Amino acid sequence: MENEEKLADKSIIELATFYVGDALCGMDILKVQEINKLMEMTVVPQAPDYVKGILNLRGQIVTIIDLGRKLGLDETALGDDPRNIIVNAPGEHIGLLVRQISDVVMADLEKVEPAPANMSGIQGSYFLGVYKTENRLIGILDAEQVLRMETDSRTGPAAGGSVA
Amino acid sequence: MSIEDDEILQGFIEESLEHLADIENDLLAIEEAGADIDDELVNKVFRAAHSIKGGAGFMGLTVIQELAHAAENVLGMIRSRKLVPDPDIINVLLLASDELQQLIENVEESNEVDISEHLQALNAIYEGKEIPARTAAEGDTGDSASAPPESDQEASTAPESPAEAEPDPEPEPEPEPVAAAAPEPEPEPEPVPEPAARPEPEPARAETAPEPAPAPAAEKKKKIKKSKHKTDTSIRVTVSLLDQLMNLAGELVLSRNQLLQTITSGDVRSAEAVGQRIDLVTSELQEAIMLTRMQPIGNVFNKFPRVVRDLSKKLGRQIDLTIVGKEVELDKTIIEAINDPLTHLIRNSVDHGIEPPDVRVRQGKDPKGLIVLKAYHAAGQVVIEISDDGKGIDGNRLADIAIKKGLITVEQAKAMSDKERTNLILLPGFSTAEKVTDVSGRGVGMDVVKTNLDQLGGSLEIESEVGKGTTISIKLPLTLAIIPCQIVMTGGERYAIPQVNLEELLRIPAAKVKERVERVGDAEVVRLRGNLLPLIRLSDVLGIERTYFDVITEETREDKRRNIADRRSKSSPLFRDKDVEQEQTGQEQEEEKAAARTGRERRQSPSSALNIVVVSTGAMKYGLIVDRLHDSEEIVIKPLGRHLQQCRGYAGATIMGDGRIALILDVSNLARMAGLTSLDGSDRANELADAARDAISKTRDKQALLIFSSSPEEQFGVPLNQVERVEKIRRSDIEDVGGRRVMQYRGGSLPLVSIDEVAAVQPLADQEDLLVIVFHLAGKDIGLLAIGPIDAMEVAADIDDITLKQPGIMGSAIINGHTTMLIDIFEIVQTVNPDWFVDHPMSMQVDEEAEVVILVVEDSNFFRNQVKGYMEEAGYSVLEAEDGVEALRVLEDHVDEITMVLSDIEMPKMDGFELTEKIKNDPRYRHLPVIALTTLAAEEDVARGKAVGFDEYHIKLDKERLMASVHRYATAGVAA
Repeated sequence: MENEEKLADKSIIELATFYVGDALCGMDILKVQEINKLMEMTVVPQAPDYVKGILNLRGQIVTIIDLGRKLGLDETALGDDPRNIIVNAPGEHIGLLVRQISDVVMADLEKVEPAPANMSGIQGSYFLGVYKTENRLIGILDAEQVLRMETDSRTGPAAGGSVA
Repeated sequence: MSIEDDEILQGFIEESLEHLADIENDLLAIEEAGADIDDELVNKVFRAAHSIKGGAGFMGLTVIQELAHAAENVLGMIRSRKLVPDPDIINVLLLASDELQQLIENVEESNEVDISEHLQALNAIYEGKEIPARTAAEGDTGDSASAPPESDQEASTAPESPAEAEPDPEPEPEPEPVAAAAPEPEPEPEPVPEPAARPEPEPARAETAPEPAPAPAAEKKKKIKKSKHKTDTSIRVTVSLLDQLMNLAGELVLSRNQLLQTITSGDVRSAEAVGQRIDLVTSELQEAIMLTRMQPIGNVFNKFPRVVRDLSKKLGRQIDLTIVGKEVELDKTIIEAINDPLTHLIRNSVDHGIEPPDVRVRQGKDPKGLIVLKAYHAAGQVVIEISDDGKGIDGNRLADIAIKKGLITVEQAKAMSDKERTNLILLPGFSTAEKVTDVSGRGVGMDVVKTNLDQLGGSLEIESEVGKGTTISIKLPLTLAIIPCQIVMTGGERYAIPQVNLEELLRIPAAKVKERVERVGDAEVVRLRGNLLPLIRLSDVLGIERTYFDVITEETREDKRRNIADRRSKSSPLFRDKDVEQEQTGQEQEEEKAAARTGRERRQSPSSALNIVVVSTGAMKYGLIVDRLHDSEEIVIKPLGRHLQQCRGYAGATIMGDGRIALILDVSNLARMAGLTSLDGSDRANELADAARDAISKTRDKQALLIFSSSPEEQFGVPLNQVERVEKIRRSDIEDVGGRRVMQYRGGSLPLVSIDEVAAVQPLADQEDLLVIVFHLAGKDIGLLAIGPIDAMEVAADIDDITLKQPGIMGSAIINGHTTMLIDIFEIVQTVNPDWFVDHPMSMQVDEEAEVVILVVEDSNFFRNQVKGYMEEAGYSVLEAEDGVEALRVLEDHVDEITMVLSDIEMPKMDGFELTEKIKNDPRYRHLPVIALTTLAAEEDVARGKAVGFDEYHIKLDKERLMASVHRYATAGVAA
């Protein structure tokens, strides 16, 4: 009940939090479609290094992005308790592989502070800001920035063929 | 209008369009027959016109009714032999039927259309002769009874129609198209090449036809002339096919129940049976559903007799069109999509292929040209051939033109085969030449045709002999949704290779590897029936670890042997002797044989053998080495996400039976990725295509760039016009003085910077030979350290100003396949030497009271943002517009604020010339200075610019000069 009251206040959002490397990150829970532990991925040779593979999610092909790699940290080890956070992207679903998931945290947007240039080794540009709880610091990830392509798809002559 | 009416109207439209589609070809046949009037044919057309008239009258569509009535009158006269149909009369009738078609397609507005022209023409014919005796009603009743028995006979007497001239072996036994009326007694036949004559549907159809008059009229005639739907939102399916689908759906439900039961009971044995049943039902269901989408290619072909007739009349040609294989069925989407390309090709054949009659006679040919349009099945694909006996395409002339246009080099042209030269016509960029049609015979938009076909997964080939004629073959897939694939395995993952690309599977046993596989330079090739086949290792192309599959342990293991030839076992002489004769092209047999040998031999043999998938893409053929061959499966293509779009080796992905994903290989891109130097030179085609692409890109907005590097991995570019000169120096020439790097240059010290001092890029390569690119900025010289290779080129690439933007880097573009960072030399210099610009006007803040507002008109986001950035940095306000039209709108709204206009020249909708002309001719705007921002610096452009009233010309990205001039006008404007 208390939560509902809080949610009625527009500046309060729920953050799904998870660990990328050692950093505790969060993302607006409304952006998350589901969280699963399907690790039967098909490796795609020649894919960008941050792409862990592709996954069959109930008949849909989902690209899994290793969030650790994407944010410039080490590869996420599958040994811990990894999860895929499936998020909605334009035209498709994309999975973000994280080392471990954590709680859902209520965050007051008004108390979110601008992200430092660098947080636990992650580029500040991936964060919308940081949120302080009593004992922890949560980096709020900018989902769009994370899902963006690093290089443009207009590489090579294959794409150029459509010029005509 | 009530729903009921709506349905009736819809029915009327569909039916009428079907009639009209028939009328066209029938009229042509009537024209052909001349005075020798075929009653049956005329009757049919008459009835069609009549039923359109009747329906239109009922619906209150007076205009349609009137026109149909007038046409019917004329037809009535022909029928009663009071009028001999000549080409003029037929022409009028054809035009009327075209008009009817348009009216019906646009039925809502049809009553407002003016058809007096058609009515006059028709009535003139009608009144010029005697009044026809028959009324419409008579025609109706008399014919529906007599129609069915006559139809067969009629069809066979028809061949004088151009639609089915002599060589057509059997024009009439067409399978009923799906679009036909419902009461077809049996499901659609499979698209078999030569269906036998099918007498049985005839009577059945006549009996069960739903509407008495119109239906038999449409049905009983040659079935080839079936409807073509212009507005194809719905599809007609025979009831029997629907019944079959219903049945199968029922079966599926039953099987599901069985399956659920089996799962609950855990009975493994019956599970197998259920599985089989579901397998069967699904594949039947799939087939039946595909059938609903299949339509005869005749739907497209049928309009060509008219096209050829009209065009040949216009151009003074005499042409026979022979159509073969109208019954061949293709997926509806493909049928729709090939309409335009085919029309284009046919028109080309008439226009440029067939010579005028006098020329033909002089060359000893029949004055009547022949165009054959043929469709048939081959190797799971549909082939459409368009051949003419015209003058052919002169490959040498094409090559000359291509060289002149810079699409290929002289050397390339020399190395080409005749066929390759002919196919030059498909190069994008080729067709833009104005004169191609005159010189070569063909060429307008052939690349567009090819692009369209490529999108369908089809291919196009041209064969031509000068003086003899041209044959264009198009290969199309039957359908796009489900494709059969060969599944292979490499590196522990499965991959699918589309069966259309698959030639054969080849297995080379260990003992033969050394003998069969040879090395030519870096490439490995295998001897296959006397030919050399280049080999590509899938694992190498994809950049994964080489592995091999150990059949004994069923494991995928790392393969450390470097060459294929090294794969042979070194340990067992025994094995070598015994295995010498063994060569199979199938893994199963191989394994069986191997299993029959001793354990030791088995260990060596199968796992050392090579599994090769021989694939072909167009003219190129190569062998793809994989670890294992699996079964062939029908798969459903699913697209890959956007993060994987850059992986060119895949055409998509599919989900396998076990729920895991397999990637679908794109064999032509794989060959390209492997840099395959093909043995038959098809690779040159790729080079040519690349060259052509470059040519195309030249026609777009260009930017002259100096391309250079700073480290071996990264490529940079800088606008050429900013560069003063380029010096070659040695590292020892650089002096480190006072914390700055300088070198001696023209008697002074030239300060040196490198990009990595400002931007986060790789440090300057540590090498002895360096380049210094000298820029002149803020009245001083500065040198940028760089390394080669250095190149100047005109680039039209899209510039991305987001992804790689950082201090000193204004954006990036793909140039010749490399990501190239465009450096912002001002920013670099400003960062390194901030004091340089302090007293320079370009950084001067505009502090006058009046605000300076600049309208920047530029279609490229990148340049607009760039220029806007410069302006805002200098303290000006900026308004933006994407093209001339928008600019005028903005001017209108902000006329009092705007101080000057900066405009690009090349823009969509309204270009810079036109915009400036408009500005300078409008008293409200005339006072505004207009500065052209351009990449076009040709003399005539400058002259034209001056003529329309540009005040000044500046090269895009030449920030310094631009700012100086903006500043000058700004101060002048404010002062005034």
